[in-house]
Amino acid sequence: MLKRTIQKGLFRRLVLQLRLVNIVPSSILNFFGRALSSLKIVSEEFQGGAGALFNPLVRDAGPVFSKLFSRWILGAWEAHQQGKKVILVPFNFPVDLIHAFDNAHPLTSEVLSTLAVINLSQQGEPYWDMAMALGLPDHLCSANTIELGSLLGSDDFYPDAIVSSGPGGCDANAKIHEFVANYLNIPHFFLPKVPENSGRGRRQYSVYFNKLVSQLEEFIGEELTEEKLGRVVERANRCTQLYWELFDLQKLSPSPVPNLFSLFIYGVRFTMWGTPEGVEALEALVEITKKYLNSPEYKNKVERARCLWAYTSYYYDLAGLFNWMEEQGYSHLGDGLDLFFPQEIDTTSREAMLEGIAESAWNMPMTRQVGAESMAGSWTEDVIWAARELRADCAIYCGHHSCKQTWSVISIMRREVMKRLGIPVLVLQGDAWIKKMTPISVIQQQIDEFVQNVIASKV
Amino acid sequence: MEDIFAQAQKLENDYLKSWREKGGKVLGYICVATPVEIIEAGGILPYRIRALGSSETELADAYLSRFNCAFCRSCLNLGLKGDYDFLDGMISSNGCDHLRGMVENWNYAGKLKFHHYLKVPHLTDPESMDFFAEDIKICKQAIEEHFDLTISDDQLWEKISAQKRIREKIQTIYQMRFQEEPAFYGWEVMSLYLFLSAVPSEVGESMLERVIEERKNYQIKDYRARLLFGGSATDEVSFIKEIETLGGVVVADTFCFGARAFWNRQPQSSSSDPCRELARIYLEELFCPRMFEEFSRRKELVLKMIEQAKVDGVVLFHNKFCDLHGVDNVQIKIALEKEGIPVLTLEKEYSARADLGRFKTRIQAFLERIGK
Repeated sequence: MLKRTIQKGLFRRLVLQLRLVNIVPSSILNFFGRALSSLKIVSEEFQGGAGALFNPLVRDAGPVFSKLFSRWILGAWEAHQQGKKVILVPFNFPVDLIHAFDNAHPLTSEVLSTLAVINLSQQGEPYWDMAMALGLPDHLCSANTIELGSLLGSDDFYPDAIVSSGPGGCDANAKIHEFVANYLNIPHFFLPKVPENSGRGRRQYSVYFNKLVSQLEEFIGEELTEEKLGRVVERANRCTQLYWELFDLQKLSPSPVPNLFSLFIYGVRFTMWGTPEGVEALEALVEITKKYLNSPEYKNKVERARCLWAYTSYYYDLAGLFNWMEEQGYSHLGDGLDLFFPQEIDTTSREAMLEGIAESAWNMPMTRQVGAESMAGSWTEDVIWAARELRADCAIYCGHHSCKQTWSVISIMRREVMKRLGIPVLVLQGDAWIKKMTPISVIQQQIDEFVQNVIASKV
Repeated sequence: MEDIFAQAQKLENDYLKSWREKGGKVLGYICVATPVEIIEAGGILPYRIRALGSSETELADAYLSRFNCAFCRSCLNLGLKGDYDFLDGMISSNGCDHLRGMVENWNYAGKLKFHHYLKVPHLTDPESMDFFAEDIKICKQAIEEHFDLTISDDQLWEKISAQKRIREKIQTIYQMRFQEEPAFYGWEVMSLYLFLSAVPSEVGESMLERVIEERKNYQIKDYRARLLFGGSATDEVSFIKEIETLGGVVVADTFCFGARAFWNRQPQSSSSDPCRELARIYLEELFCPRMFEEFSRRKELVLKMIEQAKVDGVVLFHNKFCDLHGVDNVQIKIALEKEGIPVLTLEKEYSARADLGRFKTRIQAFLERIGK
């Protein structure tokens, strides 16, 4: 066994910080957030992370999201204190299913890692190093290995069970969750995907999904009744409506949707979709965007390039990517993680609602694209569809080193996008959660050169 | 046996050439989850895709990336170069993310005359077994349609029996390997597997009979330690041979170019449907980290081999960027060390000669650590 350090775990540190965020009124939070960011008296890590949420470009959405995430994290802590089950899931799992239980709360590995990178000093690196200390390979995905490294090597809070929807979509994701479940002897449930896009594959997915629901009901000790599902699904449907409203706003040129909203939208999807907090947060995004659209400020906005990010963005410096792009006039039109194509779910029966959530799970990012029968085919179709709908001038592939599946078909995606849409694809390389692989200044330089030399000449 | 080793080092061996000259068809497959009996029952030669230590990847690198495993890049490179033009098609499967990408690019480049994708579940529960049995039937139909032939249940049962005999003979070879004075080196057994997975089963079976006869009194005495090798897909015979020059004889392995291709894979008499029986053989006994809820069985397999072969130490490799084995090797290491078995884990680049020196140094040190 790895000797546990005395260092506090990632989750425990986040609880300490976000407890404060939770009790401070939004207006005061916004005031202090902006003051700290603009005075530049805080660390670069803060400015690039949590501070970025309070940049005037993000308008008043910073406090909304700080509070959303604090409710989500503290909700898990409170659930644990009350003897409820805390279920760790990966980002490609529909959290609404867990929210439907009265006695369970979801935590999402990749969101915890991202919050650590945004909020904590030294970002997620100490926890990544804990995983490496066990001999795990450095080509794993930092998105989940940061959080799971904390479970493996620090004094942290353990979930009661892990649900894995990685098998079929991502080897790295699936294996690290399995490793942690085995290492810590935590119950492990699966929602695998067979890469079969005909009805047969989809039917098999429902078989797995329904089996998982039964397993969770037994584990949590609670039946998922029609009433409980109905509550969550109705809110999830409202989230869906708001998602598409934002998507339509994103089509306008210049885009009135602040760049960081891309992250916020899937932030809701991966944490509080189907909850009152999730609905409120998305309503706030729509409201803020519309307000900006009708402001004199928007009329003066210059948009130099419309960029669709094909898979993930970079998260170790939100200010250096999202806000910097906005300052340059480069609209971030969302990334691959926004491409989860939510649909309103039929609420007429328990079975219909479960089938609707199964369909949403099937369409979760990664599962839908690289978990498909053709990784290149499904991913390319989604990127082309989004690029066309959003009138993107280009696509950018962040090249997170651990995404072996997308890396293995990026050449096909790039060729097809160029052939069928006539737009170029920039292929970057880096670790989206760990800054030491490629500094943000290098990323900025590459984007700048690309826009100036390739996009500007076309527009 | 020298002739077999020489043939095993050719991408297109003489038996395969002769098969093709007589009008025989050849179907490539990439993973040990592929029931070769279906291909053989159609009168087609199943051929396991390999790179044979080729480290050239310049053509493949225009498709795959440096973050994909070099074994897959090397295989793809051979395909793009035309070295695999003797194939009449390929049965691929979702073995891992790298393999999936390799085949998608191979197909995208227009280098596959026929391609069928066998979808292998990640679990072995009854629902997954049902799905896989049906998928095997779909695969059979695809072969029948493309090659304009019919595969009867009798033909399938006949090939299931033929593979049973072959697996029994390989099992015998492994038992001869497990002896106090082993009858085979590790590199020799890998060569036998490479030969076996590239020739008609009749040729393979008679070769195994000959080899067993030739080696029945053969004894390797001058070795320092008995090792078990395991890990990612690799067909690097020369690498194992070089390592064995240090005095550690590889008496057991859990490679998919080795034991995993046949271990426990024997038919039972309970099923009347050959496709269902194949599903059971190939999914239930798929000892690969791409399978979930199966870690304890993988661990048991290794422990059983260690016990049977009286192994002194275990060396687990993973190809750079292979997440499945990269993680699983650590799990296996922790489990084995709890049992007091020394383990060395190594990350390597497929077929990188530049890596050889450092690996020899580390294995030399490992032998010293285990007191050999």
